[in-house]
Amino acid sequence: MSLYAIKKEHRCIIENLPKIGLLKSLGLREGINVAIKSKQPMGGPVIVQVGRRCVAIAQDIAKDIQVREVN
Amino acid sequence: MDCHNKSPEVQVGKDTLKFLLMGNPNVGKSVVFSKLTGVEVLAANYTGTTVGYTKGKIRNLKKEGILIDVPGTYGLEATSEAEEVAVSFVKEGADAIICVLDATNLERNLNFALQLKKFDIPMIFVLNLVDVAEQQGVIIDSEALAKELDAPVIPTVAVRNVGLRELITVMEKVGKRQKEVCYTAEKELVEEEETRWKEIGRIVEKVQTLVEREPSFTEKLGYVSMQPWPGIPLAILVLVLVLGFVVGGGKAIRGVLLLPFVYNVYEPAMTAFIGGFITEGTIFYNVLVGDYGVLIKIIEWPFALVLPYITLFYIALSILEDSGYLPRIGVLMDGALRKIGVQGGSIVPFIMGYGCAIPAILGSKAATTHKERVIVASLVSLAVPCTAQTAAFFVLLGDESIWMLVGVYGLSILAMIIGGSVLNRMLPGKVDPMLLEIPNLLKPDVKTVVQKIKIRVKHYLVEAQIPMALGILFAAIIAETGLIHGISDFLSPVVTGWLGLPGEAGLALMLGIVRRELAVLPLLDMNLTSLQIFTGATVALFYLPCLSVLAILIKEFKLKTGLAIAGTTLVAAFLIGGAINQTVRFISSIL
Repeated sequence: MSLYAIKKEHRCIIENLPKIGLLKSLGLREGINVAIKSKQPMGGPVIVQVGRRCVAIAQDIAKDIQVREVN
Repeated sequence: MDCHNKSPEVQVGKDTLKFLLMGNPNVGKSVVFSKLTGVEVLAANYTGTTVGYTKGKIRNLKKEGILIDVPGTYGLEATSEAEEVAVSFVKEGADAIICVLDATNLERNLNFALQLKKFDIPMIFVLNLVDVAEQQGVIIDSEALAKELDAPVIPTVAVRNVGLRELITVMEKVGKRQKEVCYTAEKELVEEEETRWKEIGRIVEKVQTLVEREPSFTEKLGYVSMQPWPGIPLAILVLVLVLGFVVGGGKAIRGVLLLPFVYNVYEPAMTAFIGGFITEGTIFYNVLVGDYGVLIKIIEWPFALVLPYITLFYIALSILEDSGYLPRIGVLMDGALRKIGVQGGSIVPFIMGYGCAIPAILGSKAATTHKERVIVASLVSLAVPCTAQTAAFFVLLGDESIWMLVGVYGLSILAMIIGGSVLNRMLPGKVDPMLLEIPNLLKPDVKTVVQKIKIRVKHYLVEAQIPMALGILFAAIIAETGLIHGISDFLSPVVTGWLGLPGEAGLALMLGIVRRELAVLPLLDMNLTSLQIFTGATVALFYLPCLSVLAILIKEFKLKTGLAIAGTTLVAAFLIGGAINQTVRFISSIL
């Protein structure tokens, strides 16, 4: 399923992600466990916690990130 | 392969040591830079504050040394403009690299550090923000990290000077190198990615201990401030508080302190003083102390009317910047801002624009596409009043009715929405989807904030006063010599016929070319009707950005785009101002 489909406060493991250099630099890689912290209205981004930091990811990108839910 | 192309080419003396200051965005490089060199740079708690590079002489070092503040990047793969700059600096070589690591985010910072190590330049690591990390329950063994990285690691809290002495001590041991750096790193960096992440995992495992901690108040606040509820109402509350602080506080300082001083002390004294030399009523006397007397206005306008608002605005902006709150507003607004062709993250240059358009336009460099940059710069030039102009609006409109003030600001927002939507459709290219690291919410350091406010107010006092003084002198001469009547007649079809303003208002339009607030301030003494005040304010709002902004626009976007932006603002000002005047007059004539 896509990262965008995960509910708030649920965790998931990233399985596959688009080739955007900045994603990896921000710590989003295959096999990483992340938590959804919030979803913004009007097609805004999702906020994902990676380690101790939060990253805002646009809907378009989040939809292309394949994850496995682990709750 | 020639690896010295695109170099920024920073020349240093033969015996001068060259240090590069590098690291991920928003890890405190600019703070370390200011502390080591004493060069004043504006840092903030979000990514992309340093877009160009700054260099400075290192203080307190026994040898000669210069430090270069390289823009923060996440990697060295040269995939963005900032990364290209960073890579070219490394290739140019240095005697040592000071790499700043964020202790709250070691893994990602090590990714950068290990890439940098490939270049075979001596490294010094600064492990910054250790206080915040500890609050979050992240404990890092800096000695173990030094062993792993095979280089000194100095734990610091740069904003509070913790660890900087130790850093200098380590820097003393750096010697001059003759070796050329020539390394085709990009290709290898990509190939090595997998093994690099494994290595990072191993190091982090070894040096970092996580302790469960109850989240602190700022962490909880950081969390709720990025939820649509209660984040959006909270953002509105913050905005209202800032406005109240600036408008109310400014009005109080002006009313209680500054204006009585100017009108009761300064003006009579100056008038009496000049009267002692020059006969009252002569042109020269009037130019100096008459209605537009340059010696009176040069104190009244910039100091008594504008300065209190500028100071208060920069107090609020500096606190907000250092707290890391601004990018959160950007995240909350992203969905809405996307409709006008900008990312949520670009809210930061817009907010800066309410201070001054110049840092806003420079700050728009953080936008990832050219299209977005042009949209941000155009909208800021068109519809965002700078603080000096805002102050003038507060005086002109706020004293008339608070609703007029609300009306002008509503018009400004409406113009941004319409302008943004049009540009978004008109300009080729795209706007990248948001991908933004949200900084930790931090309690701003008082000393750093005070320093920032000082730099900014000083900037206003130094940079703004010469054009302001020349503008006022010009106004005084035109008004007092009677030249104004000729100009009024010449401009009257537009000023009087179309805009419905008195002829002298042409003066405001002429001065407005120099500085934005000068398009408003001359209207103060003209006894205008409410409609005339509103029309005048509208024209001033959209009117040409000041000369310095025009220069920056041309420098950043080339002559054609710069002039196109300026021309559009001019046309918009007359069209919208006139439309308001004509519509209101038409409606009241049939009622």
